[in-house]
Amino acid sequence: MREYTALIWLLMTPFLGAALTYLIGRSVARRVGDSSTVNPARWVALLSQLATGVFLYFSAQALWVSGRPFGVTIARLANDVNGILLRFDGISLLLASVVLVLTFLVTLYSVTYMQGEVGEEKYYALLMAMTGMMIGLGCTHDLFNLWVWFEGMAISSYMLVAFYHQSASLEAGIKYLVQSAVGSVFVLLGIALIFLEAGSLNLSAIHMALGSASASPVVWVAGALLLIGFGVKTALVPLHTWLPDAHSQAPSGISAMLSGVVIEAGLVAMLRSLAVLPGMAETWGYLLLGFGALNMLVGNLMALRQTQVKRLLAYSSLAHMGYMLIGFGAAFGFGSQAGAAGGFFHLMIHMLMKGLAFLGVGAFLYTLYVAKGKHGPLMIEDLSGAARRYPLAAFAVSVAVLGLGGLPPLAGFMSKWQIFVAGFATQSPWVIGLVVFAALNSVLSLGYYAPLVNRMYRQQPSALVLQGEKLSVWLALPLVLMTVLVVVLGFWPTLAAGWYETAADSLMRLLSY
Amino acid sequence: MTLILVAAMILLPWAGALFVWAAGNERPRLQNGLAVTFSVAAGICGLAMLPRAGAEVVLNFPVGGAFGDFTFVADGLGVFLAAVATVIGSLAVIFSVDYMKGEHQLGRYYAMVLFFIGAMVGLVLTSNLLLMFFFWEITALCSYALISFNNDDPKAVAGGMKALIITQLGGIGLLVGALVLYAYTGSYDIQALIANPAIVPAGVLAWMAFGGLAAAAAKSAQFPFQTWLPDAMEAPTPISALIHAATMVNAGVYLLARFYPAFHGVPGWTTAVTLVGLVTALLAALMALVANDLKRVLAYSTVSQLGYMVYAVGVGGIYASQFHLLSHSVFKALLFLSAGAVIHAVGTRDMRQMGGLGKQMPLTRAVFIIGSLALAGIPILNGFWSKELVLEAGLMHGPMWAYVGMLIGAGLTAFYTYRMVTMVFYGSPRSALHGHDAGPAMRVALIPLAFGALTTWLLAGPFSRLLSVESLPMHHIEPENTWVILEEVFSLPTLIALLVVALGLVCWWQRERLAGLGQALKGIGWAAEHSFGFEAVNRAIVGGTQKLGEALRVTQTGWLNWNVFGILAGLVVVLIVVILGGR
Amino acid sequence: MNLSVATLVFVAVLGLLGVGLYALLATRNLIKVIVALQILVKGAMLALVLAGRLRNAVQEAQSLALTVIVADTIVAVIGLTLAVQIRQRLGTLDIKALTSLRR
Repeated sequence: MREYTALIWLLMTPFLGAALTYLIGRSVARRVGDSSTVNPARWVALLSQLATGVFLYFSAQALWVSGRPFGVTIARLANDVNGILLRFDGISLLLASVVLVLTFLVTLYSVTYMQGEVGEEKYYALLMAMTGMMIGLGCTHDLFNLWVWFEGMAISSYMLVAFYHQSASLEAGIKYLVQSAVGSVFVLLGIALIFLEAGSLNLSAIHMALGSASASPVVWVAGALLLIGFGVKTALVPLHTWLPDAHSQAPSGISAMLSGVVIEAGLVAMLRSLAVLPGMAETWGYLLLGFGALNMLVGNLMALRQTQVKRLLAYSSLAHMGYMLIGFGAAFGFGSQAGAAGGFFHLMIHMLMKGLAFLGVGAFLYTLYVAKGKHGPLMIEDLSGAARRYPLAAFAVSVAVLGLGGLPPLAGFMSKWQIFVAGFATQSPWVIGLVVFAALNSVLSLGYYAPLVNRMYRQQPSALVLQGEKLSVWLALPLVLMTVLVVVLGFWPTLAAGWYETAADSLMRLLSY
Repeated sequence: MTLILVAAMILLPWAGALFVWAAGNERPRLQNGLAVTFSVAAGICGLAMLPRAGAEVVLNFPVGGAFGDFTFVADGLGVFLAAVATVIGSLAVIFSVDYMKGEHQLGRYYAMVLFFIGAMVGLVLTSNLLLMFFFWEITALCSYALISFNNDDPKAVAGGMKALIITQLGGIGLLVGALVLYAYTGSYDIQALIANPAIVPAGVLAWMAFGGLAAAAAKSAQFPFQTWLPDAMEAPTPISALIHAATMVNAGVYLLARFYPAFHGVPGWTTAVTLVGLVTALLAALMALVANDLKRVLAYSTVSQLGYMVYAVGVGGIYASQFHLLSHSVFKALLFLSAGAVIHAVGTRDMRQMGGLGKQMPLTRAVFIIGSLALAGIPILNGFWSKELVLEAGLMHGPMWAYVGMLIGAGLTAFYTYRMVTMVFYGSPRSALHGHDAGPAMRVALIPLAFGALTTWLLAGPFSRLLSVESLPMHHIEPENTWVILEEVFSLPTLIALLVVALGLVCWWQRERLAGLGQALKGIGWAAEHSFGFEAVNRAIVGGTQKLGEALRVTQTGWLNWNVFGILAGLVVVLIVVILGGR
Repeated sequence: MNLSVATLVFVAVLGLLGVGLYALLATRNLIKVIVALQILVKGAMLALVLAGRLRNAVQEAQSLALTVIVADTIVAVIGLTLAVQIRQRLGTLDIKALTSLRR
């Protein structure tokens, strides 16, 4: 298969899949009733994900073999319109892989979790569309096109967050929508300013047009707008206020998606756009480091006293975004490729661990609440003694949260280590201090992760656990797969080097055209 | 062969952990059998490894990237501690067969114990500092999981959390050391650093040295991190014996001993180590004097004895510190396990409710007394020889004030040991407790340890050959015959030390006459009971953090206008930074 | 290019943004919040077109603006849908009443 054919199909298949999923699911739902338990939408979604995976495989092969990014230009309408360059590089590969893996696992998981919900086919179609948008977001090499994918991802996620039409999820949905929309306006303004300065929107062309001389104030402002605009989705503190609401109110599979890939997609968009503003990498680097420190501190302290499990995990996402920002901050501020590698590695591992944590907690939420027709927040007390009845899910959640806390032999230790190594390698006292601060934060985070584990391994089960439903095989399967991955990568981190090293290489190339 | 043995010592327990976990809690007999089989197999490997120590790399996995080569070196120090971990580990597992009978969730218990044994072996055998930190943290994880094994008990949960958080805090020191080493040399090779400390700049080496000291102090429950170990006594007693007396807490001493050749040139480092050892030994001995919980007394005494080892490293007596480590592992494991037999029989840990148990459990009494005599440093038990060697090293190479302090510590040790023995086994029963003697599996574990407490000092010579130049080229330990080493002990200072020990005993006999003195020292007793204020500091830190977390929650108002304001505020701040930074 | 027109449009952009942001900070009515978002997006769109005009790339700028209109309409529709449902469930559009999720 030619490389650009694979790329085009990689971008198109999810949307074709989304359309098919909706049409088939809708027609079946109309025939046999809305809450039918045999809606084939999920299988269509799974099949289209597998098909996307095939095209991703060919694209990845092409990238790994040649070692060079490849692209294709679309929408060249007339001579004076440049068209949009879609380009598959290491960052695209990493984001597409991470997104596709998590979507696949979430779809498997949703077979039970979403079974019989009204509008099941919409759920799967939106999930597919969101996946496609994120894959596209990773592949584009055009600033405005980046915004389009970003907005598309945001729109599909609004509907998924508010999927349960209850007052709490509606509230979370509208807050998420308004804040994201404000961010998106800032991004547009930034794009307008850059368009004004550079006269082009192709990332390489922007870099060339702006030159390496000291940037003009217009570019400063544009960069600040892009940082904040994408920062809303990335949940930088203090733009994070939508995150705990949205992550805790969405269906658990979507919580996993939001925390595991959506905020990271925002981060990738931010990095790509900031990387091409010449002569300012250091400023962005310091800003990213600052936001990293703030995110870790606020995220951990806020999580410390939470009583709802999903909200606790949502706050911990803030902290983990902070770790990634430290890696990328070292990359921007000090030209550290190891920092970029650490940031991308932590992005991958965080997807696995936080995805696992949300899916595992979601499994409890399902067996204790949803399966009984109740909708309530899962409180920490509800998990008392869960291990006796659900040993597998309890083990999975323990692995996830202890991994998030950075304990070996789990993968979270290794990815944090890579970031710390990069920080020390800069030999800058500030960054070294920041790394020590990050290590202290890891200790602090154990202050809320470890009690969760203790509670699950109590002898005396809570009343809810005693009456819980059985854990179905569809809920268990993704948990097992992710647990194994988290442990294996903890012992052998360089298994993932093909992804994070390639992505780091691409980012450094963007930074130093 | 060495390669297979090294791999087996780590992988056998880990495989055992998987099997026991997979066996399921419905089959406790199978779980017992599996756990014993795998741990004993590892123990045999550990013993078989002893004559094979060498300084060359045994195993090497090049992982690459920022992770370096995962290498293992089976030198004397490592092999010795690996043998201690696997042998005492297997005895603790055997003891658990009786002790944990009827407990739920045996699978989790055994899996964690076996996981710990493998990690401990890895910790002492690896020569990659990243990997050492990796295993270091795994042992902390296991220790936490086992302390709070009984998760329904809030005290157990709190104890586990405390152990985890404090050792992690100290662990940051080791983390810094590893990262610095990599940043300056591009590898994590410990051997290279020990062979030539000049590969990192002197200032940086100081950071590593003091970072290592912080990590070691946290792990070995030394001043000012000593508070976690007494609270860790909520763990099942075999765990206290294995992890919190014989193996994991020694990791700190091991770390100091391992890096001594690299760090001893750092200004102030040896003094700091000596001081930490001295302060810990004295404070903990004082606290052991006033504690009434049998396991807490043993815990304080562990802290105090670890202080002796740290002190020995500080004054350059690597051999003495490791020899005392060996003796201590044996007699303290013996004491904990026999205390476990007592607690298992009577169902309480409060010594004020015991008394007169000796008649009901003669075997336990016998082995407990052997252990106690070794702890108090009475000839000819192993504790006597090793403690005298430590004091000898201190007198020859260390400052006089520290030596005097350690002598006083020896007297205190004798005092509290005697108090403990009489309170538990002699006198008239203070409550209607019915004891029964140790079960068969318990005996299997207790008797070899008692035998060890009587005899391990005979190994002084072979032990010095194990740690000699051939396997530890930079530690400069002379291989000697047993007799030559022990001869050193026959000297005037030993007599003085024995006199102090005897004085300690006399003080206990004459305690009624010394009541006046006791009144005078009441302040110290009160302070000791309140652990010299360290608990209050801990509580203040934890409480402060929790309050800060709670206070910060106010910022999440849930009000949309406020949320949008956050975005705008962020934009303004970034704009200011960019404009200031861009200029 | 007449500079004064550009200045005028620039002022208009700033005005739209100012009004939109002020409304977002001040209003408590959910519908007004969504209207404010619309005003903001219009400001951004105008800025895009202005940038295109100044760089002599009007055609490209127009295609961008068209895309923005599509995306922004979808957002408005979803926002209003949520607002309607909130009104149905909670009986109010006051965002002060929408604070069940906090802390």
